[in-house]
Amino acid sequence: MSSTFTTELTLSQSGFLFDHSTGLTYSLNSTGRFIFEHMKEGKEGAEMLALLQEEFLVDESTARNDLDDFLRQLKELGLVD
Amino acid sequence: MGINIAVTGLNATDNPAPGIGVIRSIRHEGWDGEIIGLAYDVYDTGIYDMDLLDHTYMISYPNQGSETLFQRLMEIHEEHRIDVIIPTLDSELSIFQTLEPRLKEKGIGLFIPPREAVNKRSKAKLAELCEEHDIPTPKTISIMNPGKFDDALEEIGFPLYIKGVFYDAYKCNTRSEALKHFDKLRLQWGLPVLVQESLDGEEFDVCTVGDRDGEMIGAVPIRKLRLTEKGKAWAAVTIRNNELIKLSRDILKTLKWSGPCEIEILQEAKTKKLYLLEINPRFPAWIYLCTGANQNLPKVVVDLALGKDVEPLPPATSGVTFVRHATDLVCPLEYLENLTMYGELHKS
Repeated sequence: MSSTFTTELTLSQSGFLFDHSTGLTYSLNSTGRFIFEHMKEGKEGAEMLALLQEEFLVDESTARNDLDDFLRQLKELGLVD
Repeated sequence: MGINIAVTGLNATDNPAPGIGVIRSIRHEGWDGEIIGLAYDVYDTGIYDMDLLDHTYMISYPNQGSETLFQRLMEIHEEHRIDVIIPTLDSELSIFQTLEPRLKEKGIGLFIPPREAVNKRSKAKLAELCEEHDIPTPKTISIMNPGKFDDALEEIGFPLYIKGVFYDAYKCNTRSEALKHFDKLRLQWGLPVLVQESLDGEEFDVCTVGDRDGEMIGAVPIRKLRLTEKGKAWAAVTIRNNELIKLSRDILKTLKWSGPCEIEILQEAKTKKLYLLEINPRFPAWIYLCTGANQNLPKVVVDLALGKDVEPLPPATSGVTFVRHATDLVCPLEYLENLTMYGELHKS
């Protein structure tokens, strides 16, 4: 699934995410931070799943659930299209 | 020789006036002139912050008329030359508009919006202005005749806001709630009282300054993070939002707005459409946040009041926050004595 950010977002090392256009802030855990940073680099789909498996030593199903869940939340918040 | 600036609106309580933020902005990069506070009450709290003010003088309330205020300002001007006055309160704008030509003759500069523009953005006329210029605003009915109250409620539908012509707004869900606030506001501020549609969405504020032609010199959009019971910002963050800037620029141009203002805008949750809520014809109390975000708008107003040409500022920095902090200022009794008995206070 390909997702594009709809707004200008800045993520700090701590996982604190700031939306420049609305002033809203969010807290990302390490998985969210990892996915967000790689999304910024244009990673998606199978490549992202492989990166998640390698980083967090989880199987593909767990990685897929985490990725889908994170993307769903981003979408609900209107941060990706 | 430094430029001396006089500033009003020094009462920084839970509904703070903008004067202290304006003075902090002027002092932000160092100021070689003197800062003169113009106070209406000996308990205008900012008077007692002696790091901010070089001199304070008591002045007459606007309801005592323009001549009384002019004579008082001339007394002060003779003692301590005033180069620029920055009025910061809605209630005194009209009197300073009246006095502007006379003050200019005396070498005192002002940069305040023209009367016509201020009248057009008044709460009672805003809906008309928006309709004329195709600016979205929540549906609003201005009630001049209390007999039309129920018709207005029916047309707008609940929930709705009952708003005073100058201040205060109450969200109401029932007729009895609405009637209670309607009567209160009618007695407090007079008619009209406004009935306004309540839209679901996020509120943003933009502090901006228009130049002599109504062109935007600078603009800082914010999101309020914490509010007082009266809905005043107690914490906020600057944002970068081109749609808010564009709407603000269009508003300044439409009104040929020269001077500072605070524009309140709502973004409807469902449609993301922007609606103009209000235009306050002065700096907001949180003006020092603009300075922290690299747009020193009070300094711009000083330059414009001095007749200088000012170029548009680079975009403000987003992600700068403020949190308001109430503190106690301890001072000798002589401060109160000087203000009460002589109507003035000077830094020793």
